[in-house]
Amino acid sequence: MLGFLIFIVLPLVASLVISLFDWPLFGAPKFVGLDNYVRLLTGDPVFWTVLGNTLFFAVSYTVVNLIAALAVATWLHNLGSWGPFFRVLFFIPVVTPMVANALVWRLMLTDDGVINSFLANFGIHGPSWLSDSQLAMGSLIAMSVWQGIGYNIIVLGAGLSGISPNLLEAARIDGAGAWQRFFRVVLPMLSPSLFFCTVMTIIGSFKVFTQPYLLTLGGPGDSTNTIVLYLYRNGFSFDKLGYASALAWALFVIVMLITALQFSQQKRLVNYDN
Amino acid sequence: MSTNRVTGKLLTAAAVAALAVGSLTACGSSSGSSSSGESKEASAMYTWITNENDRAQWQAFVDAAKKKDPAFNLTLEGPSFNDYWTKVKTRLSSSGAPCIITTQAARAQELKDLTVPLDDMVKSNNIDVSMYNKAMIDGLTVDGSLRGIPYDAEPVVLYYNKDLLAAAGVAPPTTKYTTSQFAADLKALTKGGVMGLAVPPGFGSGPGLPMAFANGNEPVKDGKLDLTNQGLVNDQQFAFDLVAKAQVANPPQASDGTDVPEQQFMSGKAAMIIDGPWMYDTLTTKTQGKVGIAVVPSTSGESIGMIQGSAFAIAASCKDKEAAFKNIMKITTPEVIGAVGAARGTVPSVESAVKDWAGTKPAADVAVVQALLKSGRPLVTTPSWNQVETNFTQYSGEGFRGSKTAQELLSTIMNSAK
Repeated sequence: MLGFLIFIVLPLVASLVISLFDWPLFGAPKFVGLDNYVRLLTGDPVFWTVLGNTLFFAVSYTVVNLIAALAVATWLHNLGSWGPFFRVLFFIPVVTPMVANALVWRLMLTDDGVINSFLANFGIHGPSWLSDSQLAMGSLIAMSVWQGIGYNIIVLGAGLSGISPNLLEAARIDGAGAWQRFFRVVLPMLSPSLFFCTVMTIIGSFKVFTQPYLLTLGGPGDSTNTIVLYLYRNGFSFDKLGYASALAWALFVIVMLITALQFSQQKRLVNYDN
Repeated sequence: MSTNRVTGKLLTAAAVAALAVGSLTACGSSSGSSSSGESKEASAMYTWITNENDRAQWQAFVDAAKKKDPAFNLTLEGPSFNDYWTKVKTRLSSSGAPCIITTQAARAQELKDLTVPLDDMVKSNNIDVSMYNKAMIDGLTVDGSLRGIPYDAEPVVLYYNKDLLAAAGVAPPTTKYTTSQFAADLKALTKGGVMGLAVPPGFGSGPGLPMAFANGNEPVKDGKLDLTNQGLVNDQQFAFDLVAKAQVANPPQASDGTDVPEQQFMSGKAAMIIDGPWMYDTLTTKTQGKVGIAVVPSTSGESIGMIQGSAFAIAASCKDKEAAFKNIMKITTPEVIGAVGAARGTVPSVESAVKDWAGTKPAADVAVVQALLKSGRPLVTTPSWNQVETNFTQYSGEGFRGSKTAQELLSTIMNSAK
C-alpha cells in the first residue's frame, strides 16, 4: 500500500500540480493555473503536429503489427516441429534492448547505410530513409513492427493453441473451406487475444519515444516528432516542467479515452466462450 | 523563507518522484567526508565523458595538478557531451552531487541557476582573472558575476586536407579567406567521391554560425535571441545553399553527431570541415592525408573568431564551496592549463600558456589560432540555448535539403525558444 502511494499516487498528483506551474526546474515556480493547458490547445502548433504524428504512428503500427502478427502466428501454428524455433527467432527483437535495435537500424537506414549500399549493387540510388519527411515515419514504423511483432505472435499463438480442434473439425465436416474456417471459427475464437493485443499495442504505440529519439531526433522538421519525445524535451531539455506535465496529462486523457472506447465495444466485438 | 522557495522545494521533491529522474541521472556518489576533512563532493567533478579521449583530458588536469600537490585528487563522473546539458540539471538536484561542474561560455546563461557567482571567492583568494582570455571571462559573466574559471579558449577554425587540396589544384587558405573563394574551392574539391565540406546538423557546430560570427553577426543581442537578424540569416542560408544547391557536402541527418562529419573528413571523403581546435590532435593525426587549418571564411576575408571554451564552476547545491573553489584553482593555474594544452591540444585560456600549446605545431597553424584569439568574441547565448540547439538540429535537414529557407527555420526556432 505504501509503495502504491509513493510510486503511483504521489507522482500522479505531483504531475497534476506541476502542470499548473511555470517551472524551470532550478528557478522559482510560478503558479499559472490552466495556462499550460490553454497554450497546449490553442497556442502551440507543434502539439497538434506531434499529436497527428503520434496518432498516425499508433494506427499504422497497430494495424500492420496485428495483421502481420496474426499471419505469422497462424503460419507458425501450422508449421509443426519448426514452430517453436521460429517463434523464438521472432521473439528475440522483443527482448533485445530497444536502444541497440535502434542503433542497428540507424546504421542500416542512413544514406550510405546497408540498405542503400545493397540497392546500389543493382544500380538503384536509394532514398534518404531517415531524412526524407515522406519516408522517415514509415522507416520508424517498419523498425517498430520488427521490434514488437514477436510479442503479439506469442499471445496470438497461445490463443490459436487454445482453439479446440473439434470446432475446426466440425466446421470442416460441415463443408467449410479454409478461409471460412479462419473467418468464421478461428477469428471469433481468437477475438479475446486479438482484443488484448489491440489494446496493449495501441497503448504502447502512443508511448513511442526511443525510435524517433535515436533515429531521427523528431526530424526532419517535426515529421517524426511524437508526444512523448516532445514531452521529454520540454521537461528535460527546455526546462519547461510545467508544460511537460500538461503534455503528460493530455497524453493520459487521450489514451484513456481510446482505451475506454475499445472496452465499450468489447461486448460487441469479442467472443468469450461462456 | 519565501513562499516561492517552499513551493519550489516541495515541487522539486515531488518532481523527482513524478518524473523518475533517477533513470536519467548517473549513479550518485555517497556523501561523507574524506580523511582530510574536505567533503568528497568538493573534490568530485560532474563533466562530459563521451569517450576515452575526454577521460584522458580530465586525467591530464589531475596529473598536472598533482605535480604541485601530490595529495590532490579529483573524482569524475558524467555522461556524453550531448547528454550532459540535459542530465546535469537532474544530477545536481540529487543528493551527493559533485561540487565542481564543467560549463561553457556558451552555456553560462543556461546554467546560471545551477552555478554560484565566484567573484567573492576570486577576491578573497587574490586571483587575478585578467590573466584569462577576456572573451571567455566575458562569456562566463552572467548578470555581472563570474560563473566559471576557464581552462580553454578555442576559436573555431577551418580544417583542410592538404593532399586533397593539392590534388584539386586548390591553394591552401590561411589567415584570410573569403566566402566566395571558399565556395569556389569547395566546388573544385567536390569530385571523384570526395565532397568539398563535411557538415554536422547542429547550429553552434557549424558551418552557418561560425561563418556568421566571422562576419560579425551574432545570435544574441542585448541578452535576447536575435536569430533573425539579416546578417545571420544570410550566412546560414549561404551554408544551406552550399549543401542544397552547390551540393559540395552531404546533407546531414538530424541524428548525426559531430562525429559523423569528422569521420567523413578523417577518412578522406571530405576535404574541409569547420570544427574546434579541441579536435586538432585527433584530426591531424587520424586523417588520411596532411591537415592544415585556416580561419573560418568571411565576406571580406578578415575573420572574427567564434570563441568556444569551457570552464569549471561550482554547483549551487555544493555545501563546501570554498574547498571546491580551491580545487578549481589547482587545475586552472597557467602551469596546469599549459601542461594540458601541451598534452591534449586544448588551447589554453591563459595567454602565457599558449606557447605550451603551440609546442611543435606548424607556425602557420599557430598563427591562425592566435589571430582568431585576438579578434575573437565569445559565443554568448541565452538560457533557452539548449532549445535553440535541439530544434536547429531537428529542423536543419530541411534547410540543408532546400525545402525550407534559413529565414523560415530561424524564425520558427526563435519563436519557440522565447
